[in-house]
Amino acid sequence: MSPVTLAFPADSVNVSLARTVAAAMAARADLTLDRLEDARLAADEAVAQLLASTPPGSSLTCAFEAEPGSLRMSVSGPWSDSAPPSTRTFGWTVLDALCTSVQARLDDGTLTLTLTVEGTVPASA
Amino acid sequence: MTTETGWGPAARARERDLLERLSAIPADDPARGPIRDELVTMHLPLVRHLAGRYRDRGEPLEDLVQAGTVGLIMAVDRFDITRGTQLSTFATPTVLGEIRRHFRDHAWAIRVPRGLQELQIRVSAATDEMSQRLHRAPTVNELADELGVSSGDVLAALDARHAYSPDSLDPAVDESAGSPGVAAALEPAFAEIEDRETLLAVLAELPERERELIRLRFDEGLTQSEIASSLGISQMHVSRLLARTLTDLRERMTRD
Repeated sequence: MSPVTLAFPADSVNVSLARTVAAAMAARADLTLDRLEDARLAADEAVAQLLASTPPGSSLTCAFEAEPGSLRMSVSGPWSDSAPPSTRTFGWTVLDALCTSVQARLDDGTLTLTLTVEGTVPASA
Repeated sequence: MTTETGWGPAARARERDLLERLSAIPADDPARGPIRDELVTMHLPLVRHLAGRYRDRGEPLEDLVQAGTVGLIMAVDRFDITRGTQLSTFATPTVLGEIRRHFRDHAWAIRVPRGLQELQIRVSAATDEMSQRLHRAPTVNELADELGVSSGDVLAALDARHAYSPDSLDPAVDESAGSPGVAAALEPAFAEIEDRETLLAVLAELPERERELIRLRFDEGLTQSEIASSLGISQMHVSRLLARTLTDLRERMTRD
């Protein structure tokens, strides 16, 4: 399936957009409700991580790729720190627990968090 | 709970003096105006602090501050100096009440259409019933088949639970919480966290149930359905509580 991309101003009022799209894409990936709700929370946390050090007035992008049993979300935006966010924070612990894998990449001032939420596709589906 | 910091003895004395003068003036006397204004201005940081708890819920912060200020004015007018309480303590519930009222009056998402509310109840019941039967949570498609509705409808019902509802408007604050022993039980799980001190302090402020939820999900690694059956509540309720608690934790950890 082709990815779905959502772009929005870096403002906490837009977090709910990322959450809602994450849930809809998790449903397309045929994830169970447990995983779907994890994906929703993970989108929330990832956007919050970016908002912590994104210059005001910039824009964030969330790209979602659904495959049977797997949802990949890439959240990216301008990052004003010289290092990616610390992995030794509660926020990161939360992301780690919610996702099968979490990666941060800082490339030329743009931070991208790539999250994967996986589950087994029910046989009946 | 004292929410204002940095109030020196001079400010306290000034507040006391203003309150005493105000209590001596009849309710309809225009002479109350300037005194009341000064008291309101002094307590605006309290209103800002309380409004800040609701800042990620889709309403402009300034509107929330305005609504809260109405509550503060009402509290100043009703304050009884002979009762021996602090004005800030007395005003807090009124300020929060006005902020919540603003949400009830203005936030569209509170008004979940009736059809969606009914579907939400059916989705919640089917989720719990199917989780028991399948020994795992159902997917959106399975729920749609079970209920004879589209998967889009199921998604809308799931989203609606994260919209405002009266209980999600109460931030997870519990004045009677704060037993550090329970938060300390979480310490090993978060041993590697650099903001652990803040985290433990903030966790200690949470009500017992919310703290237990965080422990079960992020320390023991249980799924939402597993937590639901172990606490005897619906998966839908777990989902809503967990989302709210995480938002609340994040706000509390980044404040100040």
